[in-house]
Amino acid sequence: MKSGKTLRMVYISLIGLFLLSVIALVVIYFARQSRSDLMVYGKVPAFEFTEQNGQPFGTSEMKGEINIVNFFFTSCQGPCPVMNARVAELYQKYATSNQVRFVSISVDPDRDSLSVLQDYAKSHGVNDNRWVFLRAPMEEVYKISEKGFMLAGELPSIHSTKLILVDRNLNIRGYYDSFDDESLNLLTTNVRELLN
Amino acid sequence: MNKKIIRFKKFTLSATLATYLLIFIGGLVRVSGAGLGCPDWPKCFGRWIPPFNAGQIPPEFNAAAFNFTLAWIEYINRLAGMLTGILILITAILAIKNFRNRKKIMLPSVLAAVVVAFQGWYGSIVVQSELQPVTISIHLLLALFIVSLLMYTLINVHFLDRSPAGKQIKPAGNVLRILWFASLIQITLGTEIRSAVEQAWQKFPLISASEILSYTGPVTLVHAMLGILVAAGTVMISIRILRITNGERFVRQGIALLNLLILMQLLIGFAMQIFGIQPFLQIFHLWSAALFIGIILVLYTSLNYQWERP
Repeated sequence: MKSGKTLRMVYISLIGLFLLSVIALVVIYFARQSRSDLMVYGKVPAFEFTEQNGQPFGTSEMKGEINIVNFFFTSCQGPCPVMNARVAELYQKYATSNQVRFVSISVDPDRDSLSVLQDYAKSHGVNDNRWVFLRAPMEEVYKISEKGFMLAGELPSIHSTKLILVDRNLNIRGYYDSFDDESLNLLTTNVRELLN
Repeated sequence: MNKKIIRFKKFTLSATLATYLLIFIGGLVRVSGAGLGCPDWPKCFGRWIPPFNAGQIPPEFNAAAFNFTLAWIEYINRLAGMLTGILILITAILAIKNFRNRKKIMLPSVLAAVVVAFQGWYGSIVVQSELQPVTISIHLLLALFIVSLLMYTLINVHFLDRSPAGKQIKPAGNVLRILWFASLIQITLGTEIRSAVEQAWQKFPLISASEILSYTGPVTLVHAMLGILVAAGTVMISIRILRITNGERFVRQGIALLNLLILMQLLIGFAMQIFGIQPFLQIFHLWSAALFIGIILVLYTSLNYQWERP
């Protein structure tokens, strides 16, 4: 009689354990799904600008890599220094990977000549082509900012301080606030998901 | 009186099981990364019932931070916590009503109710701190404290009509105390490893799950070594207890379970060394640690009521 009771307890425990395992698997699976479910906000239209060393750079270079894009201008005193300092941190963080590329587009091509951009790159510790600084005629910058990346603002003084995540197929997968640590943490999480 | 005892025992047992289930759910929140599923507390995005879609989010919240799955996982943890809290509260009220003169029953159950109320409030601190590792560890340790109080109550009710043995089986008691303390250290080290993994991932975001453990420093090695020692201690003390006590069924079952759990812990631990910190392994590693430490307490308390074999 008593050992029958023990046996019943063992069965109940095993069934309970099995149920908990199933619940755990389902919850973990859906939690993971829900996070890797990165929205596609749109596609970056084809463009070709010039990077700081005078080489052409555009969508054909971005394709096949994970890109983090932002807009700035070198003489900006407001939010840009902070924003690009954060980008520089990320640039250091991903130093071991050549799959993550940083693309900073100048919104002030009149003052930001290639040599100015080169100096700016140097001052941010850029020593390879994982971080490029792009220059293009103002109307093209305007077009790509507003139509391509769907950012609003009176260029150049009011440009967005968002970092934009673009996947290997040139799809825009997220916008991140460069002033918010949590948002930047989410960015690194999402980059990891895109890498996998 | 007998009916009252049975009723009380049922409530205490349910509260204990509910708390263990809650520890499991809390672990799921942790491993699924749903801890900030609701940015506010006790409401979720300003609502008593979490939103089903981003359109239901009040303007003062950032709708982009909303994730339906994570919000509901976190909210179910809170709901389950509330239900468990109510169960523990009823247990405490029954204890005050029926066992006022039994200090070993009344005090732990009332204390459990006080701590569980604190724990509920502390949940808000965990969310406010944006999941600071220390606050999460305290949240877990408090849960273990609550479940320990409930189990202590349960054992004392179980042996209510039995007077304590003349002398406790001393050497066994000492080893169990050491094992209990070592397990507590193990659980704390485990939470340390978890936050070390998170920090490592912040620093080296490209490392795979199976490699990340090697970036956590010596804490992982210490945890593994101490784990093996705890396992060896468990086997030794089991043999000893079975040899010296009258071997009541209750004690034998506890020992069987204890050895099963420590075996499971070793296997899961080794699996995580090989496959990395996988959420599914992690949740059961934590949960069986919680069960292990509870059963040590049960054994320790019940040894008070065992007779040495003549």
